Amino acid sequence: MELIRLERAVIGYRNALLPPLDLAVRAGTTLGVLGPNGAGKTALLKSLLGLLPLIEGKRVLPLGRSPRVGYVPQRDRLDMSWPLTVLDVVLMGRARLVGPVKRYSARDRKAAREALSEIGVGDLADRPLFALSGGQHQKVLIARAIAAEPELLVLDEPTSAMDPAAERILLELVQRLKSAHNLSVVLVTHQLTAVAGFATEVALVDRERSLFEVGPAAAMIDPQRLGRLYGREVRVAQVNGHTAVVIE
Amino acid sequence: MSAFADFWSGRDLWLEPMIAGVLAAAILGYIGVFVVLKRMVFVSAALSEISGVGVAFAFYVGALLGIDPHAHGAVPLLLEPTWFSLFFACAAAVLFSLRPGHRKLATETIVGLGYIIASALVLAILNSPRIAQEAHAVGDILFGNAVTVPRAQIWALFAASVAGVVVHALFFKELLFVSYDPETAVVQGVGVFRYELLLNLATAVVISVATRAVGALPVFAFTVIPAAAALMITEKMRLTITLSVAFAVVAAAVGYYLSWIEQLPTGASMVVTASFFLLPGLLKLLRRSTV
Repeated sequence: MELIRLERAVIGYRNALLPPLDLAVRAGTTLGVLGPNGAGKTALLKSLLGLLPLIEGKRVLPLGRSPRVGYVPQRDRLDMSWPLTVLDVVLMGRARLVGPVKRYSARDRKAAREALSEIGVGDLADRPLFALSGGQHQKVLIARAIAAEPELLVLDEPTSAMDPAAERILLELVQRLKSAHNLSVVLVTHQLTAVAGFATEVALVDRERSLFEVGPAAAMIDPQRLGRLYGREVRVAQVNGHTAVVIE
Repeated sequence: MSAFADFWSGRDLWLEPMIAGVLAAAILGYIGVFVVLKRMVFVSAALSEISGVGVAFAFYVGALLGIDPHAHGAVPLLLEPTWFSLFFACAAAVLFSLRPGHRKLATETIVGLGYIIASALVLAILNSPRIAQEAHAVGDILFGNAVTVPRAQIWALFAASVAGVVVHALFFKELLFVSYDPETAVVQGVGVFRYELLLNLATAVVISVATRAVGALPVFAFTVIPAAAALMITEKMRLTITLSVAFAVVAAAVGYYLSWIEQLPTGASMVVTASFFLLPGLLKLLRRSTV
């Protein structure tokens, strides 16, 4: 079952960034969108979510409605100086479910606290936003997305400022949430390892080379394809059951 | 007679302006928290100036049609400066709510353009020979003086304040969400344009009416200073709002009292008093930077 589909879509702000593309987000899959910085990944994501109108082509909603989306934006786009507690931020994920005029109920607060506990930061609920570390802030944003009871979890560069260990822990967390909540996931990143180990489908994007390819991860995490994407020689190896990608 | 006794004996003169000042301070102290957090402090100045264009324009049109603006009951309802002022401010609020599709034209630039063009228009209209005789009266209506406030303006201010509070009470969670993280709000299906427009319209109505009641300077100051002072000393939203409103109300009342007993300009006196509330936050900053 598909949740969102782009058909012969030409994406861009005014000019086309990529060749016309077909892309579907399927239930239960993890779609990794991979490409260098400035490749057009965020534009593709915005087009997929309906935030950026298509220049040409169609955005189809096979469910007959927009899927419920839990969105994790790039962390550095948010202002940490707002006088908000962690719970205030996670409750925002419930805003659509609660509806206009009504206030957050005890049930919403319980759901927000449960989301925080599930992410492993339940003790942060009453802490001010400014007091969080970068990793904690990222987890709070994921908790907010989970509190929205999503069908589709979308993460925009979630591991961009993380060390490899923290990146691994976060991706394992996303994997666990996917299983626990029966989610579909779209993961936008420029980090190869993030996609190689976790995505079931991969889209390779680069506007400089006018490149867009999508397919099963096993076929896309391929030295030749990745070599074309990065313009360098790429090696892919299996190490203890994990996929390692090295750019020469 | 002590200074306070002298002040108290003149309450028939100051009670209504004091009520207007305190009411304007309270609602602006509240709205100011959003204005400061959204980094749009010049929206307040621009809206004030743009609503002024509405007032000046009403007089200009009246002069063109040969209507005496001071003849009570003779001014057609549609030419009332209040309506022109509200219309211009609300039109600007709509404009400020639009997300410019041009990367070189940020909302901040549009606000700046609005302020500059409105200032020039007010000057041009006020210096027009057609309303030269009315210029002083228009200036008072445009920017208020906080010393004498007609009762009708107090009621208008009360109505605008109630409208602003009702909008925020009904849609607080949506206004907070779209102000803090508009991108996620739109992805989750919370109508960002709708709520930003509502927020800006509520701000425009309050600022437009408050400017005419107490003057442009105190309105700008009450929108910025109390919120900034509160934000420097607390990390919780509700406490920030409570402190901001409290600082603004105390500054309005004490500022008015000081202006009375020291024979100072009322608006400026209120602003200087408000600025004292910045001291605790500045001391906190100073202490932190010396550690």
